Amino acid sequence: MSEDYYDSNTSYKAQSSETISSGSGSVSDIDYVKPKEVPDQELYHGHSFITKYIFCQDAKVIGVQYTLTAVFTGIIGLILSWMMRMQLGFPELFPVLTSETYYQFVTMHGMIMVVYLLTALFLGGFGNYLIPLMVGARDMVFPYVNMVSYWMFFVAVLVLMASFFVPGGPTGAGWTLYPPQTLLEGTPGSGIGIMLMLISLALFVIGFTMGGLNYVITILQARTRGMTLMRMPLTVWGIFTATILALLAFPALFVGAIMMSLDKLLGTSFFMPTIIQAGEMLEYGGGSPILFQHLFWFFGHPEVYIVALPAFGIVSDLISVHARKNIFGYRMMVWAIVAIGAISFFVWAHHMYVSGMSPWFGFFFATTTLIIAIPTAMKVYNWVLTLWKGNIRMNVVMLFCLGFLITFVNGGITGLFLGNVAVDVPLSDTYFVIAHFHMVMGIAPVLVILGAIYHWFPLVTGRFLDEKLGKWHFWITFLGSYSIYFPMHYLGFIGVPRRYFEMYDSPYMTSAVGMNQFISLAAFIVGAAQFIFLFNIIKSLKIGKLADKNPWKANSLEWYTPNVPPVHGNWGDKLPVVHRWPYDYNVPGAKEDFIPQTTPPSEVKDTGVEKT
Amino acid sequence: MHPGFIFLAVVIGSVVFHLVTPWWWTDIASNWGGMDDTILLTFWIAGGVFILVCLFIVYCVFKFSYKEGRKAEYKPEDNKLEKILTWATALGVAALLAPGLVVWSQFIKTPSNAINVEVMAWQWGWQYRLPGEDGKLGTTQVTNISDENLFGINLDDPYGKDDILIQSSELHIKKDKPVKILLRSVDVLHNFYVPQFRAKMDSVPGVVTYYWFEPNKIGEYEVLCAEYCGVGHYGMRGTVFVDNEQNYKNWLNEQETFSDVMAKFEQIKLDVNKKLAKK
Amino acid sequence: MSEQTSINNNLPQGFKGLTSDFGSDQTAFKGVNWGKAMMWIFLLSDTFIFSCFLISYMKVRASVVAEWPYPSEVFALDVGGVPVPLLLIAIMTFVLITSSGTMALAVKYGYEKNKKLCGMFLLFTALGGLTFVGMQAFEWSKLIFHEGVRPWGNPFGAAQFGSFFFMITGFHGTHVSIGVIFLFIFSRKAFRGDFDTGKKGFFTSMKSDYVAIEILGLYWHFVDLVWVFIFAFFYLW
Repeated sequence: MSEDYYDSNTSYKAQSSETISSGSGSVSDIDYVKPKEVPDQELYHGHSFITKYIFCQDAKVIGVQYTLTAVFTGIIGLILSWMMRMQLGFPELFPVLTSETYYQFVTMHGMIMVVYLLTALFLGGFGNYLIPLMVGARDMVFPYVNMVSYWMFFVAVLVLMASFFVPGGPTGAGWTLYPPQTLLEGTPGSGIGIMLMLISLALFVIGFTMGGLNYVITILQARTRGMTLMRMPLTVWGIFTATILALLAFPALFVGAIMMSLDKLLGTSFFMPTIIQAGEMLEYGGGSPILFQHLFWFFGHPEVYIVALPAFGIVSDLISVHARKNIFGYRMMVWAIVAIGAISFFVWAHHMYVSGMSPWFGFFFATTTLIIAIPTAMKVYNWVLTLWKGNIRMNVVMLFCLGFLITFVNGGITGLFLGNVAVDVPLSDTYFVIAHFHMVMGIAPVLVILGAIYHWFPLVTGRFLDEKLGKWHFWITFLGSYSIYFPMHYLGFIGVPRRYFEMYDSPYMTSAVGMNQFISLAAFIVGAAQFIFLFNIIKSLKIGKLADKNPWKANSLEWYTPNVPPVHGNWGDKLPVVHRWPYDYNVPGAKEDFIPQTTPPSEVKDTGVEKT
Repeated sequence: MHPGFIFLAVVIGSVVFHLVTPWWWTDIASNWGGMDDTILLTFWIAGGVFILVCLFIVYCVFKFSYKEGRKAEYKPEDNKLEKILTWATALGVAALLAPGLVVWSQFIKTPSNAINVEVMAWQWGWQYRLPGEDGKLGTTQVTNISDENLFGINLDDPYGKDDILIQSSELHIKKDKPVKILLRSVDVLHNFYVPQFRAKMDSVPGVVTYYWFEPNKIGEYEVLCAEYCGVGHYGMRGTVFVDNEQNYKNWLNEQETFSDVMAKFEQIKLDVNKKLAKK
Repeated sequence: MSEQTSINNNLPQGFKGLTSDFGSDQTAFKGVNWGKAMMWIFLLSDTFIFSCFLISYMKVRASVVAEWPYPSEVFALDVGGVPVPLLLIAIMTFVLITSSGTMALAVKYGYEKNKKLCGMFLLFTALGGLTFVGMQAFEWSKLIFHEGVRPWGNPFGAAQFGSFFFMITGFHGTHVSIGVIFLFIFSRKAFRGDFDTGKKGFFTSMKSDYVAIEILGLYWHFVDLVWVFIFAFFYLW
């Protein structure tokens, strides 16, 4: 039986009387790992600047490309949100902004943040960089397709951005693009703007499908020896499940986009009923606006979990590494991710309780929606129980994780209001909804993204981000965004409807003026704090503290490549062999407080390690 | 300063904010107190969980901050604890869901004595139609809509003749009498929402949607559009007056019926024809 | 091997056995080629696209007020002055199903490394697909120019009839056309012997292998299967 250990370069030695040298040699049967099933992958190595950094097939480079593009669109989304908050907080200071542009900004902000920032960053960015490294593959299984995936995304972003510069501007129909509003004259961007939006979304879906197939197959079929599914880091589980969701949910958006473009271009009436606008009857008739809502939310709700599940996975790993403790209830965590993913296909109409669909649906969807709260709650318990009796490093990464926990729990419980059909009736379409989803799928995942960037920056670049700037960045971001969205729930209780350009003339909304000003100020500050972060990145790239190999003393494979930062092909001559789950921290009897995944059992015979 | 203090301050701040907040819901003016109660119930159960989880985090942060050489506990899972937590959560969720569903079943079952009020929405305004003495609204069709027949009432439907048309954004309803709001729209989605009544529903072009409530407080209430309907969305307001019996009757008597309106248009046409003939 | 037997004795049973088999190291689907697995998952995703189309169609057809055109009249073909319902469509379906058969033969001869027969059957399949698309083009032009059916309206009744018909058959026809293009390329590659020599792909620089034909076959059978559903929902309902 041949054994090819990957020499992990760790100085780990078990307190064992018969220490067995790592590497090939005499090994006992407990170290047995099934022989290789998958043939070694041949990779195309780039030779020129263009094939190495631009049209590159290396998943790590593609991941960075995805990240940079997504962050770029994210900054535009951020600037749009500033404009919106300017209007809501201080309308008289910003008279240029008309109601048309306001609604255009609202629409673009929503679409950019949900699809082009969060989805692209989690799946395209983190997925590409981490999946091959974490499962011990040399690259994605189809590197060429993966490269095309990024460039489709890039074109999709260009098309989306182009809509700012066409006559009529971008669409202003709200990010949900509900017909008939979207296609009617009088809605901003109902001409070219909406077409560019739909084309961009279709391109995004096609590009994402190419990438998504890669992620799924790499995880299912290209893991290294010993890497069972139940030994994968939760990051991979989160991204994997989210990708499956995306592959099955994006079709609905794609179909909706096709049908809507036909309504626009050919004058079909899929979604368009008989409409009388300004006293004139339009040529549409017989279509169903609610059908679009069903299609949209059949995509839209899984989309929430497409953003949330990778965040769940990543934060589990970050907490475990920095609390120096195994993630509590790993199997429960995996099943919770899978269960949330599965149930998320049966809850979509909770966005439509007051849409005029058959009210009987309310019972079903309220029940499924609240059921999904159970696995989600289990995940929260397991995160906090991971902190219990840990050895918690209070560094920037951990701060972001704690910030995530608090905002996520807060946003999660307000979900219990909105998911419960009768409770939703007074609250839907008010600021309560805005506060809820920004807390739970805006701030919470963004905090994870930021934490993850602080965590993996040393791997990608070989340097640390500045810890002091990081702390400033964290506290301003966390406290600032909490004070934006926590009070906003109370605007919803008053009954202030969302998507109002102005609202000061209503008798009971006057009390909201002060709060709106406060929220706007907080939003400006939080936005500005992100530029500290950008500065930190640029600065640290140049003069950041150099990182050793595996600076956080983590167990998962991505830290055990022969070169840091990892090069194309990841693993040098030999692929790593995995013997355990990635969470063996502070195992009783072990000399150090971590046991890498590559350490064979014979080296840690006398420790209290549990078999995984 | 230890970061735990700041997290603790966030939790305490949230609770204090909730206790002293001047921003709270408007006084309820309909029978949907059940919705408020379920909100409060959710608030206490879910809010309690929030506080407990956050305090647990804060405790861990203080107690288990990094110390060189300290051993963390090694315990991959604890089946018993996980089971208890799952069932406790399931129980809590069921306690939230059950009352919610009960209220919803009331919400979708309109009482038989409810007055039908048709709300017609357009970009950007409201108008209303009430049944006449026969208590029934005439049937309608979108294609009938014209300058004379703004609701598109079928001319050959006898029930439609005495329908009362209110071509203004002000609606009066009777106190303590259930109202079934029938929602129609001629162009895009709208939503007839009066915060004090708590209830709301989208109006969808091509479909008639509905909800009901029973106003129980005399007063004047603002109607808001709660579904984005274009650049004038924020200005789409109306007024609902909840009247006592007498005031309601007085108001109703001043309104025109469909046949009145049609007769008026006939008269105008006749006048125009006469004028033309004279010339 | 002693450890093998000891492992076998401890294999978990039931649901646990299922999950532990599926989750065992390296591959979830044992012995399944990457490309094949990828095609399966892609087809799953594509199934959702077609399902969304067809469910939307059913929803609208069930709720639309105007009368739905009677398919056996609209799609009837005049043969010597007598309208024969379902004639054209029956031929189209027959051709497409037959091409599935030739595809299966191509896969078989591919694995037997018989490049001539493999290439020939790929060519037959491509021609079958091309015939199908051609007949579809004929049907479209007949509907448009003779019956006056347009995506936005038609003389028979509900406007959505034309909208859904053109959209769904068009989307399916696009699938067939893409398949035909690949079939032609693969047939050329087979004749040239690329699959035997393992020549590297022009774009992907991955080695050619006969398994690619099976993967294309999966796609082709899927397109046929989808057609059966479209056929049932449009022509028989």
